[in-house]
Amino acid sequence: MSAPVRILFVDDEERILRSLALQFRRHYDVLTESDPLRALQRLREEHIHVLVSDQRMPQMSGAQLLAEAREIAPNTLRILLTGYSDLDAAVEALNNGGIFRYLTKPWDQQEMAFTLRQAAELAVRQAQPLQAIASEGLSAPLSLLLLDDEPDTLAVVGEFCVAGGHRLLRARNLAEAMLQLNNEGADILVSDLKLAGEDTAPLLKTLAQAHPRLLSLVVTPFQDTQALLRLVNEAQIFRYLPKPIRRGLFEKGLKAAAEQALIWRAQPQQVVTRLAEVPRDEREQEKVGSLMGMLGRLRERLIA
Amino acid sequence: MTHARALQSLMRAVTPLAASMNINEVADLFLAAEHRAFLSLPVVDEHNRPLGLVSRATLQDIFMQRFGRDLRGRHPVGEVMNQAPLIVSLETSLEQAAKQVTAQLQYPITEDFILIDAQGQYCGLGTVLDLLKAMEARVAQRNRVLRQALVDLKESQAQLLQSEKMASLGQMVAGVAHELNTPLGYVKNNVQLLRELSEPLFGLAAAQARLGQCLNDPDCDEASLAQALQAAEQARQQAAPELLAEDLQQLYGDTLYGLEQIAELVVGLKDFARLDRAMSEEVDLNDCIRSALLIARNHIKDKVEVVQQLGELPRIACAPSQINQVLLNLLTNAAQAIEGVGRIQIRSWADTQGVHVSLQDNGRGMPPEVLAKIFDPFFTTKPVGQGTGLGLSISYKIVQDHGGQIRVASEPGRGTRFLVSLPLPATVAMKRSA
Repeated sequence: MSAPVRILFVDDEERILRSLALQFRRHYDVLTESDPLRALQRLREEHIHVLVSDQRMPQMSGAQLLAEAREIAPNTLRILLTGYSDLDAAVEALNNGGIFRYLTKPWDQQEMAFTLRQAAELAVRQAQPLQAIASEGLSAPLSLLLLDDEPDTLAVVGEFCVAGGHRLLRARNLAEAMLQLNNEGADILVSDLKLAGEDTAPLLKTLAQAHPRLLSLVVTPFQDTQALLRLVNEAQIFRYLPKPIRRGLFEKGLKAAAEQALIWRAQPQQVVTRLAEVPRDEREQEKVGSLMGMLGRLRERLIA
Repeated sequence: MTHARALQSLMRAVTPLAASMNINEVADLFLAAEHRAFLSLPVVDEHNRPLGLVSRATLQDIFMQRFGRDLRGRHPVGEVMNQAPLIVSLETSLEQAAKQVTAQLQYPITEDFILIDAQGQYCGLGTVLDLLKAMEARVAQRNRVLRQALVDLKESQAQLLQSEKMASLGQMVAGVAHELNTPLGYVKNNVQLLRELSEPLFGLAAAQARLGQCLNDPDCDEASLAQALQAAEQARQQAAPELLAEDLQQLYGDTLYGLEQIAELVVGLKDFARLDRAMSEEVDLNDCIRSALLIARNHIKDKVEVVQQLGELPRIACAPSQINQVLLNLLTNAAQAIEGVGRIQIRSWADTQGVHVSLQDNGRGMPPEVLAKIFDPFFTTKPVGQGTGLGLSISYKIVQDHGGQIRVASEPGRGTRFLVSLPLPATVAMKRSA
């Protein structure tokens, strides 16, 4: 590493900034801003590897800031650090801000250090700008696996696949899903959190580790900030869409996922800037471990 | 039909008389045991349609006249019957029948009433006493039902009040809990940093102690003294106390500030709930305003500028936790009425009438049809599940119970103003006028 990794912290509470700066100044080039507008300005002027923002600030919300930051500097990894469990803000931060992690206050020192280290590694690893190859070959067919029985979801996904010439795969339960993934592979996964009575979160988390290029869109009637937090951090999901499905939002999410999948397809393996945490829940860890074994073939194919 | 059945149960079967029967025969019938309960007997025509009622009283009047029985005993009863008797259809309800009977009844009561079917055919007799008894039973039953309904209503109202209170309390606690996370975040991190940063100081102290020992020890040779000196210098460089001092000052300062913030929030929460104090006490309403603002900060801080113009207020007797609830309700409503960024102006002042608090927002305001209903229980403009629609009606009741008033003015697009006025206690008012 020649140039040090530069991290920008944004929070309206100066004391949070001072505390974080003191914690990380020895490892990184730490910048702080208490005004989100000035933070955006800095993002335009300097190369910043990782951006960590508070959610509730007087001038604009963290989710808004991260969404704008994505436009200005798409390669900067974005992290939300908040003391409020506000589902709408979290959904916005994920769907519009494309956050890498969702951290809560008060934070664990080790965990925060670990997360920033991961983010810094990824940020440094991604060398060339992603957007350069964005527009070519966007019509190449992709495979989309749907894990949801609801007709509304199927209607939107089906139309999307027909329009884009993508292949639509379906599975009625987790076992079938594993089979499909092993035999056919997939670029995009659209899944409810429940499939035939089974929890799909472990599968999503396994896939995030086994197949970081797979983009998962979660559609769910559940409204739980904690569950979303874990899906962001441990499954690196791409979108979280509350049911009943809002068509426009869903279509936009699918389109963005397809674009991203095609960009990744055109890039060497290492450049993918996604990295999921190991699930914290032990039972889930086991489940992910066993699913990982079952996904062996998928992994072989991906590595080959 | 239950109504018809109600009268049916009152009906007594009595064989009707023909108009041609003479008075003596009818008198004998009155003496018969089965007719003892009746004041009168019915007379019908050949088609069984009622013609009239012969009353016991009429016959007694005739027989009480001298030679009455001899003179008129053989006359047909049709001559002396009441040709316009009380006729009630079996179809009528008990209440209607009672109304009809009492309207036409005259004192003293000398007759019963005739019951007919839908075709106007004679069916039987009803007595006024039976009717009154039935009515009384029905009224008693109605009363029981009403009383039960009242008890149920009171119970469910108390439950609703309680659940609204719990909902706002829960919202408040959740808000404050989240508010605590920010100071908690840096305080926790700072303490960990303090531990890390102060670690080398112990090494420095130990190295310097060894150096001191060496200096005091006459046996200490040059080489070990030089070593001790170097070790102390190294430890000093590592600990860098002159650089550390500033960091430690800052960390201690921030940490203490954070702890004070946490304490303030906890005290605010306690003040707000006032679970530990009497129901009614002398309170400065400005304290209530500040307390409610502290609690509401979570809802309003990131989008609303609060302008306070609090005048000096006499202390008044009230239930502070209830007044706090009212103010918090008005504050959160105001914040919710503001889309994007806005302003809430809070003023308080006192005059001879009482103490006043005005809350004005520059939110979306309300049209007159909404304004007219805002204090109604269960009226809400929020989506289902997001508001009980009880907040303002409870606020209204609380202020009313305090002998005060809550008034509102609103204009769509410009904002809403609530004015809460609480009266001064009589003693204060008297002192002033004296």
